[in-house]
Amino acid sequence: MKFISLQKGGLHRNQTRTAWAFCTPAFISICIFYLFPFILAVFYSFTNKMLVPRAGKTTGFTGIQNYLKFFMNDTARIAFRNTALYALMVVPAIMLFGTILAVFVNKRIRGVKFFRAVYFSPQVVTMTVVAVVWSYIFSPGKTGLLNSFLALFGIGAQTWLQNSGEALFCLAFMYVWQTIGLEMIIILGGLQYIPQELYEASYLDGCTIPQRFFYITVPLLRNTLVYVLISVTIGSLKLFTQVYVLTNGGPDNSTTSVVYLLYKAGFINNQVGYSSAIAVIFFIVVFIISLIQNHAVKER
Amino acid sequence: MITVNKRWTVNAFYYFLYIIVAGLFILPVLYMFVSSVKSDDRIVADMSSFRAFLPAKNPSLDNYVAIIQKIHFFKFFKNSVVVALINVSLVTVVNAMAGYALGMLDFKGKKYLISLVIALAIIPTESVIINRFMIVNSMHLLNSYIGLAIPTIGYPMHIFLYYNHFRGMPQELIDAAVVDGETYNGIFWKIMFPLSKPIAATVAIMSFVRSWGDLLWPTLVTRDETYRTLPLALRALSTDVYIFWGQIFAFAALMTLPVLIVFVIFQKQFIQSLAATGIKG
Repeated sequence: MKFISLQKGGLHRNQTRTAWAFCTPAFISICIFYLFPFILAVFYSFTNKMLVPRAGKTTGFTGIQNYLKFFMNDTARIAFRNTALYALMVVPAIMLFGTILAVFVNKRIRGVKFFRAVYFSPQVVTMTVVAVVWSYIFSPGKTGLLNSFLALFGIGAQTWLQNSGEALFCLAFMYVWQTIGLEMIIILGGLQYIPQELYEASYLDGCTIPQRFFYITVPLLRNTLVYVLISVTIGSLKLFTQVYVLTNGGPDNSTTSVVYLLYKAGFINNQVGYSSAIAVIFFIVVFIISLIQNHAVKER
Repeated sequence: MITVNKRWTVNAFYYFLYIIVAGLFILPVLYMFVSSVKSDDRIVADMSSFRAFLPAKNPSLDNYVAIIQKIHFFKFFKNSVVVALINVSLVTVVNAMAGYALGMLDFKGKKYLISLVIALAIIPTESVIINRFMIVNSMHLLNSYIGLAIPTIGYPMHIFLYYNHFRGMPQELIDAAVVDGETYNGIFWKIMFPLSKPIAATVAIMSFVRSWGDLLWPTLVTRDETYRTLPLALRALSTDVYIFWGQIFAFAALMTLPVLIVFVIFQKQFIQSLAATGIKG
């Protein structure tokens, strides 16, 4: 008996040692590259810290000045408005068409898996490539690829990315095109989880197709849809690549996004303090959205 | 007989719609590949008609020769491959180790570590990127493969994914191995990690897609052409003073092709992996 307990104590020590050793590389890494930068961002957001120190200017506390600047500054407001607008274009489009696509490919029919893979395939095309290829499709002028196609329906030539009213839409379109296949697969996973008997029973009860969709499919798909809603929302708030590759925020600041602004403020304009304040506000927005997700999913 | 006929019509209708929708997703990619073997003049001339999607009568590899010889495509390709190899291999193993310790071993402080992982998983990478850059700068890692590949090695979401996976594994496997005299270290390498191939594949594919396509971090970390990765080089090409669209399409096609081939071979794993986080909630 004594022997066993001794053995157990030794084993436990061994277990603790191995556990800590195994945690060390990952936790050192996330502390240096996630936790520490985050603490720095909060700290610097109350200072006038610069990326490259300038002669004669010392770093010091400036209180909430960066935050005041953020709320007073037109560019910052425009960046948040643009990002929100972009999300408002991307999220409903993906939710609606993603669900339609998922229902559409949720059929036992030969070759359907091939089509699912095709719809998914833009996901493996890097966003930079997507942006460059679509920017050419969005060529302005009568001979542009998309403009020529639209002309068939009597729609006049648009200037797309060079038009402050249309550029953000183009960026949203690219994102929807690239991501919708992934969301389709996720929603499809939720659909296939719904017991087939429910549909059979409703069929016997004489339910119509819309009734079946709204009374069986949507309620049972709720958690999946909430997940997709939140992840697509957060994903769309991170808008950067298309802006950086195609528009640099233009024309007339119409595509300046939050992430692009915090990159520009910190990296190009040297104002780490201000950039950190934007980062903190951005984090708070994302955090609130994540909280809503947890709340919405746990409710059931 | 009538029902069979009816079903056939319905199926034909579905296939018709499937193919139309497939066009929306395939045509832009097809356009890229087709244009990459055309001259710039041909691309512009074909732009306003359906010929844009048809191969040229006399396809030429001039664009490919130009991007390989003049723009040194394979230098950037090598950079992207090296960064992805370092990143993917370390991400897959390091996070698995942490996930195993948190999910299957019993030790003090475990609860706090799990809370830390969950808390950090909420932080969007983009919001800490400038400050992360300052840290990497002070470590003198700018303009290096290490600086490019290392910061996302420990990845909170992947630790969590592995943690959930290992938590669901039968504890008896460990007890049995311990009775056989195996160490907890050995149990991971000989039993647990080999049993976790599907989840490891998920993490590997996700980190590969992330590493291959990342633009923001390489923008901050690279100082000159030496360590430029493919997305950065493509951006430089498309924002140059003189723009050669044929070469841009060739460059884009050549950096997409390897991933597309791997996707076609391992479609099932790819699709399941990228959708995995969704099903887990």
